[in-house]
Amino acid sequence: MRQGSPTVSFLSLFIISFFVGTELLADTSYQALLADEENGADWLSYSGGYRSHRFSPLNQVTPENVNQLKVLWAYQMQPTGINGAGLQETTPLVADDIMYLTESPSSVTALDARTGRMLWHFVPDISNEVLNIGFPRINRGVALVDGSVYVATLDGRLFALDAGTGAVRWQTRVADNAVGFSLTLAPLALDGKIIVGVSGAEAGVRGFVDAYDANSGNRLWRTFTVPAPGEPGSETWQGDAWQTGGGSTWLTGSFDPELDLLYWTTGNPAPDWNGDLRPGDNLFTCSVLALNPDTGELRWHFQYTPHDTHDWDANQIPVLVDGEFNGQQRRLLALANRNAFYYLLDRETGEFLLGEEYSYQTWAERIGDDGRPIVLANTDPTREGNVVWPSLQGATNWFSPSYNPRTEQFFVSNRRMGAMYFKADVDYEPGTPFLGGGEQAFDGDNASGAIVALDVMSGARQWEFELQTPPWSGVMATGGGLVFGSSNEGNFFALDARDGQALWNFNTGAHIRTNPMGFAVDGKQRIAILGGQTLFVFGLE
Amino acid sequence: MLTELLPGAVLRRLLQGCLPALLCLAIPPSTAQDLDNGEQLFRTLCARCHGILGEGGEGPSLKRARLDHAPDDETLLSVISAGIPGTGMPGARQLSGGDARDVAAYVRSLGQLPEEPVPGDALAGQQIYETIGNCASCHIANGVGTGIGPELTDVGLRRNAAYLRQSVLSPDADQPRVVDRFRGTLNAFLTVRIVTERGAYEGMRINEDAFSVQMRDITGRIYSFEKADLISYEKAFGHSFMPGYSAALNEQQTDDLVSYLMSLKGENR
Repeated sequence: MRQGSPTVSFLSLFIISFFVGTELLADTSYQALLADEENGADWLSYSGGYRSHRFSPLNQVTPENVNQLKVLWAYQMQPTGINGAGLQETTPLVADDIMYLTESPSSVTALDARTGRMLWHFVPDISNEVLNIGFPRINRGVALVDGSVYVATLDGRLFALDAGTGAVRWQTRVADNAVGFSLTLAPLALDGKIIVGVSGAEAGVRGFVDAYDANSGNRLWRTFTVPAPGEPGSETWQGDAWQTGGGSTWLTGSFDPELDLLYWTTGNPAPDWNGDLRPGDNLFTCSVLALNPDTGELRWHFQYTPHDTHDWDANQIPVLVDGEFNGQQRRLLALANRNAFYYLLDRETGEFLLGEEYSYQTWAERIGDDGRPIVLANTDPTREGNVVWPSLQGATNWFSPSYNPRTEQFFVSNRRMGAMYFKADVDYEPGTPFLGGGEQAFDGDNASGAIVALDVMSGARQWEFELQTPPWSGVMATGGGLVFGSSNEGNFFALDARDGQALWNFNTGAHIRTNPMGFAVDGKQRIAILGGQTLFVFGLE
Repeated sequence: MLTELLPGAVLRRLLQGCLPALLCLAIPPSTAQDLDNGEQLFRTLCARCHGILGEGGEGPSLKRARLDHAPDDETLLSVISAGIPGTGMPGARQLSGGDARDVAAYVRSLGQLPEEPVPGDALAGQQIYETIGNCASCHIANGVGTGIGPELTDVGLRRNAAYLRQSVLSPDADQPRVVDRFRGTLNAFLTVRIVTERGAYEGMRINEDAFSVQMRDITGRIYSFEKADLISYEKAFGHSFMPGYSAALNEQQTDDLVSYLMSLKGENR
């Protein structure tokens, strides 16, 4: 649990500021990363700390004064010559008054977090012909450790940049883009290691998680998410299907330093909608994996959606929660899955503890006592089309949930949309879509969305704030008792964490498809969101 | 994962693979099997608007030699995959390159079929448009009229005769939709009824988010409401502000009016 109070943090900040004046010096050590959650001034990793709470402990902005928030500065992203690189999904990081963010497809920008003035801008040489099969040309952010910034690129590389200048320290090829691999996630920095995962299941890749030496770029280990014949889990595949089995690892994971376990989620089996071509449970797709961060060894796994045929990746943020479950103090892993169920696992053992529906769905009767869904008949895609809720984009997706450890509330952006799912024949051809069907979403006025608050231990709904359309953006709770969220229509808003009442709303003027984050400058709370191509930073003064 | 299929790179790569032959042929010669596959996919993905036989409906008939938004094969493939921004045409982004080519080949085969005849006299229809119909009081065609309902300047390109006939006689039956890149397919003229402390309002929704709704009433006046201030808010699906003309027009007059509407192909734009 969190130590100390934000007030103390602010005091220390003032003291530090007094001694260093306006120098922009960043502490990005592993020790600083371990303390990220308690450090309201910085935001050093994608989810604001290894436990992925996306919780800003700062408490200056409250339900009483949030209506006084104003834009303090904005940053407009740099145009690129890359076709289709106009959608932004980055979460900025902040370390000692320097902000680091990515711009699609894979550029990195450092800004003065006080003013928004650019410090440096790095543009990797990405070809216009780069493949991105199954997702837009986006990037979700960087990792920081020991004075270097790490960015994973759409064409399958990992770069280490000098945090002060943006100069390249090293680059390495993670995977071959020509067969459909891409990297869009924010890497995760551990002690001397950089962890990345890959996209590409829509092209029939075989997914993996990699660790690289932060100093040299040498690969330390690789763990495949689809087992080869003879390996544990291979009994859930038939024939050669494993070779094109998918299970991509395209979202940043979480880390428990005490248990020394890395938690990484996996995506759909391939092809997406034609399960006839890959009989079996298709381990370890649509799962969460607990890995030894030093070796990549699989300690345990939990599969949320066995033999998925709706493209319900489990690539959502695993939120690490400590608390009392059924009268017993447990170390838990909470995840609101794309398949419309909210899950709690014991994160030491992988034991299934809870699976509760949090969004309308028509594919499963419930989650059984063993954690396996009790699937309803006739819910697979068919050649004529079969209507199922949720749509392939799921009841939520990659965008982050948030957890307030003080109130034990879990907040999640919820998509409410069904779809007609189709099955079709497909042959594997490297570097081309390997889908085996499609969907027609029931969109427009047939769909809606919400920000939902759940009791983290029971999954019980506390409140919901309805949105016009299914959102594509995450949420952030704060120590001031607020939940910040966004909409497709461009609203950036603050809700009262107690009851979900909207207290403040700002129209950014463009589709928001990213996560809020928080930091402080001179001890003053800041909240950032990206709308369209523009980053907005808000504060009271 | 398929967070969102943007097949531009795939398409470009596929097209590149065909170069240099592509310069004249983006859709390679099709086998009967390709056309069958294209037809099946067409029925699944396209027929709702373009008709099961490509005869059109809410979308235009494809039984014409030249498609205005897809004059060449490369553009046709792009339209199938990415849609047409600002219209009701969404992209079939889930199609693989091969499937998109099969659909394109099937669409081209429809172009070799004879166009549907449109009964009626367009000149007589124009008279009805301007007199009995009083259509310009709510529609703009070729720059003339009042812009409350949909602009009709190129409606002959966007709809087929049967759909326009239905729109004239029973406008409640279906309403035009637009594709919003981020929000999906939206009813473009949804009737909304709003009550606030200041009064009751009825009009067509222009835009909406979680906090506000914008509306145009029958006089063309535009309103903006904060949802927090609303006493009630009703979305009247299946209702159109346009009156039905089944009592006002006889069969011949209806044919004439539809013929005139089908003649509006945006030449004056």
